[in-house]
Amino acid sequence: MDTIKLYFRSMGMLLKSQLQYPASFFMQTLAQLVMEGGEMLAVILIVDRFGQLGHWMPGDLFFFFGMMSVTFYMTEIFGRGVTGNFPSLVRTGQLDTLLLRPRGVLTQVLCSAIDPRRITCIAVGVTALIIGSNMSQVQWTVLKALALAESILLGMLLVLGLFLIEAVFCIHSVKSVELVNAITYGGRSACQYPIDIFPRPLRVLFTVIAPFALTLHVPAAYILSKPLYGWPDWTAFVTPLAGAVLFGIMYLVFQKAMQFYRSTGS
Amino acid sequence: MRYITVEGLDKQFIVRKKREKGVLREKSVIHALQDVSFAVEQGELVGYIGPNGAGKSTTVKILSGILTPDGGMVDIGGRVPWKERKEHVRHIGVVFGQRSQLWWDVPILDSYSLLKDIYRVPENEYQRRLTQLTDALQLGDFLRTPLRLLSLGQRMRAELCGSLLHGPELLFLDEPTIGLDAVSKLALRDFLKEENARNGTTILLTTHDMEDIAALCPRVMVLGHGKKLYDGALPELLSRYDTQRILTVRYEDGAALPELPDSCAVTREAEEIKIIYAPDTMPTAHLISLLQSAGTIRELTAQPQNIDHLIAAMYREMDL
Repeated sequence: MDTIKLYFRSMGMLLKSQLQYPASFFMQTLAQLVMEGGEMLAVILIVDRFGQLGHWMPGDLFFFFGMMSVTFYMTEIFGRGVTGNFPSLVRTGQLDTLLLRPRGVLTQVLCSAIDPRRITCIAVGVTALIIGSNMSQVQWTVLKALALAESILLGMLLVLGLFLIEAVFCIHSVKSVELVNAITYGGRSACQYPIDIFPRPLRVLFTVIAPFALTLHVPAAYILSKPLYGWPDWTAFVTPLAGAVLFGIMYLVFQKAMQFYRSTGS
Repeated sequence: MRYITVEGLDKQFIVRKKREKGVLREKSVIHALQDVSFAVEQGELVGYIGPNGAGKSTTVKILSGILTPDGGMVDIGGRVPWKERKEHVRHIGVVFGQRSQLWWDVPILDSYSLLKDIYRVPENEYQRRLTQLTDALQLGDFLRTPLRLLSLGQRMRAELCGSLLHGPELLFLDEPTIGLDAVSKLALRDFLKEENARNGTTILLTTHDMEDIAALCPRVMVLGHGKKLYDGALPELLSRYDTQRILTVRYEDGAALPELPDSCAVTREAEEIKIIYAPDTMPTAHLISLLQSAGTIRELTAQPQNIDHLIAAMYREMDL
């Protein structure tokens, strides 16, 4: 409880510091809108050109896109310390400062940054979700709403877990490893489309290694009443747990890696 | 009561350097610390000096739980820093002269209030400490100013207050007076002395400013190439190297300088003649009579060698 209070107090303070530069904040938020709007435009163009992808109708495509946007950018807003700031914390030695305080390192890393500019990306995502839900005429039930919430929450843990891989490399080499971006940002770009349109190697990558298919596509397909691979409905509530599992594993690896942290400068 | 015990501390860093030719990188091992041992009593004020890269910061980082050593034993108040990091850091405060621990864009009072939550300091205890520290450090006027708008001296005071809010038993200061003006430096030293006397805080200070050490630390440890070279009182250390004196002379109407033995180093700046000599080989009375024979002396001052020169001489002799 105490930790959660600390997290929200830190977030409040960081928000206050960002608003010290209102013009810059406003411009950057606008830039994010253009960026994510562009991503959505890609979906619109595909729908316009092909009408549908496999058995996925236009509404379904908007729905997938919306779920990915909301999941990914919620993580970027609230987990900015891990998704964006960690390499610079290591490089500048600011991580030392965190180690000098009687709290968990990961807690403090999460408390060290917030990225409210992404709020416009979420707005785009929510818009896509509503459009998709209407076009595909989703019959909402309590279970479906739960599946959506579970998918987003556990998907956030998955994204955090994937960024922790980068953090672990960073602790060792004091540099960020761009290769990991292939499954973080790459995963976001690829998995905003349904998994079964991809060739087998990519399907394996995004099911086993970076299991977006399990946290996002299985529940999304259930909500759209087009079960992925014809799996039974209950799987939509079980497979997203893969996100928590990946996060748990990476959390342990991260703790272990911190023992080998060697700090920089003097 | 013994508070810090360090025995046989070792730390190595593996550095990968690019070779002059080719793409492969060469590994080399740097021994940052080799078999360093010392003990510090509770309430002691200890200076920790040595040239850049001697291993001072590495020691501080190990003692504060940031780094894990490769060998050796550390006991601070019954704790092993890197094994019980969270419990350990609750009892210590650290100030890095070149690295801020407060939040850059918010008023320092907000930073303190967040630190209170991080360290779980009870509200009344926090208020008491804050009043005490803001008075002693004269922070009252800019508690509501964001850190980035403070001058360096103000910022250092603000950092110091932040690191003492939770009432640490042990305070590490890593070059706290770097870049400060004379007034701020003196105020900082007074404050540290007072904090040490009033709360019995043990203080370990690393610095390049020998005046800091002379003013604050009855005991000094010298580190070089990762090894402890000296541990004892500063005057004793200096007396070994304090073999030279400086004599500054001015003559009436710029009379010529007399012949002096080679052991005297002479520099001349306009009217002013500066002679560095060793009283052991050239007694002062003898030198003065030599100087007098050359003309009428208008002004004559004698002074000891600057403390930095002594340290430089010491580093040279120890081959650092």
